[in-house]
Amino acid sequence: MKKNKMDELELSQSAIDINEELPVIEFNDVEMEFYMGSEKIDGLKEFFIKFIKGKIDRTKKKVLDGISFSVKKGESIAIIGHNGAGKSTTLKIITGILKPTKGSVKVRGNVAPLLNLGAGFDYEATAKENIYLNGAILGHSKKELEKKYNDIVEFSELHDYMNVPLKNFSSGMVARLGFAIAIDVEPDILLIDEVLSVGDENFRQKCSAKIKELKEKGATFVVVSHSIGQIKQLCQRAIWIENSKLVADGPVDEVCAKYEEYCKNNKH
Amino acid sequence: MNMSKSPKFESVKTFFSHMKREFIKNKNIVGQLVKRNVKVQYRNSAIGIVWTVLNPLLNMLVMYLVFGTIFGYSSDKTYVLYLLCGNIIFNTMRGATTQSMTSLVNNRGLLTKNKIAFQVFPLSCNISAIVNFAFSYVALLIVMMVVDTSSPFMHVFSAHMLKAILMMPAFFLFIYGVSLVLAAAYVYFRDILHFYNIFLTLWMYMTPIFYKVNTISGSFGKFFVFILKCNPMVHFVEYFRQVTYRTVAETSITETSDEAIKQIMAIQDSVIIDTNLATLYILGIAFFAVGLLIFSVSKRNFMYKI
Repeated sequence: MKKNKMDELELSQSAIDINEELPVIEFNDVEMEFYMGSEKIDGLKEFFIKFIKGKIDRTKKKVLDGISFSVKKGESIAIIGHNGAGKSTTLKIITGILKPTKGSVKVRGNVAPLLNLGAGFDYEATAKENIYLNGAILGHSKKELEKKYNDIVEFSELHDYMNVPLKNFSSGMVARLGFAIAIDVEPDILLIDEVLSVGDENFRQKCSAKIKELKEKGATFVVVSHSIGQIKQLCQRAIWIENSKLVADGPVDEVCAKYEEYCKNNKH
Repeated sequence: MNMSKSPKFESVKTFFSHMKREFIKNKNIVGQLVKRNVKVQYRNSAIGIVWTVLNPLLNMLVMYLVFGTIFGYSSDKTYVLYLLCGNIIFNTMRGATTQSMTSLVNNRGLLTKNKIAFQVFPLSCNISAIVNFAFSYVALLIVMMVVDTSSPFMHVFSAHMLKAILMMPAFFLFIYGVSLVLAAAYVYFRDILHFYNIFLTLWMYMTPIFYKVNTISGSFGKFFVFILKCNPMVHFVEYFRQVTYRTVAETSITETSDEAIKQIMAIQDSVIIDTNLATLYILGIAFFAVGLLIFSVSKRNFMYKI
């Protein structure tokens, strides 16, 4: 009985959230500030010495400055820009890990972050234990995970290694497991940060196929990558962030061409 | 299954369904983390989970040999029970707080890549400490049966045992409150770890775990008792002792000789800091409220400091 009620709630929930008319991601004049690294004080002694000397560095760095864009349901957009331009910060704001200093962000639907695969893994635990832990973090109940467990193992192709501690895995195997868990969420919005180059050629093709499948089902993609080729393959639209400001927003070929030209000119 | 991240919800219904999902999600994470915390202790060990029962027993034995000889308690067989009662309560607190303190920083990888509520980590450390306590309790039951051979099963199901369960929510709130403060402080100042370790030693000596308060006499004794009363841990330890040690120890003496009466008097004397459930709950709720307040205020900047 309880379960039914919950399903009902979830249904009405998604009916409100995933409205065709409303954009699934909305950034409105978003500003994000960080304290500079020099302010990071780990010890009391350090703190008092700096405090007395008046050397507590309060300067902030703007990582995002007045960023506005919106993403419609089913759209695939790429975020490009140089290292430290604010791409990953943007993804973290979409996930809800970080809250913007100013401006408003609206996200409708559930988000599956594929940021740094395997970051949440416990390397002392077995692969099986990690599937359950990581699945819980992504918001699955134990029952759901029991159902999905076989699919995840199937996708990762790591049948024989489920009771092996993760510390004995190769980095490719860890990435495969991470991808298999994250992709199984069937999310409305999938955030991908430089993780599409995991595993061997076979596995990569499998990932592309899965992404295609999700796309056809109407999932929204936000991709951060330095591989222009990959971006052009996956997305129709691109956003270029440079020096914490939004420089261009448009069809992927146009924006990428501008970006490549800018890179060439700035080499010297 | 995490949902709309916007602070403004489109409807009340959305808001409640959001709360419900967040709750279910966090419940699952805590469940998995507790499992991990408990398992991690005996990973790669030959006898595994048996250690959780054996550990307090062996600890108790060492303390019995050392302090029993120093203070001359070793002739009293109930002293082992006295030791164990204090020891498992104090060690539960020690385990919960030290683990919670570093839990946020140690799970940095998880926190910076996923949206997880910060409280999940100290909470799971505290729950696993309580699980460990349950295992230690098995050790306590074994010792109880050894001490009182006349009625081995009577105490296990007695009303007094029930009181020991009644005090647990208060105890949990207390250790969780302390844990929240430490976890928040550790994010900002890593020195806390060293400081707290020293403080724990002091705290242990300021709690009657291996000594009995009535053996300290004179004007200093009165002053000492006053200090002990200010220590919240004393209340938890002494209450737990009242409901377990005292009842078992008293009934373990069956004969009615002068010697036996003397012994009973000594047992009654040894628990001189009187406390009750109400006090424990006031302490628990107060520490929890303060801990939660400090944690909620400081968590805004966790992401940048961690």
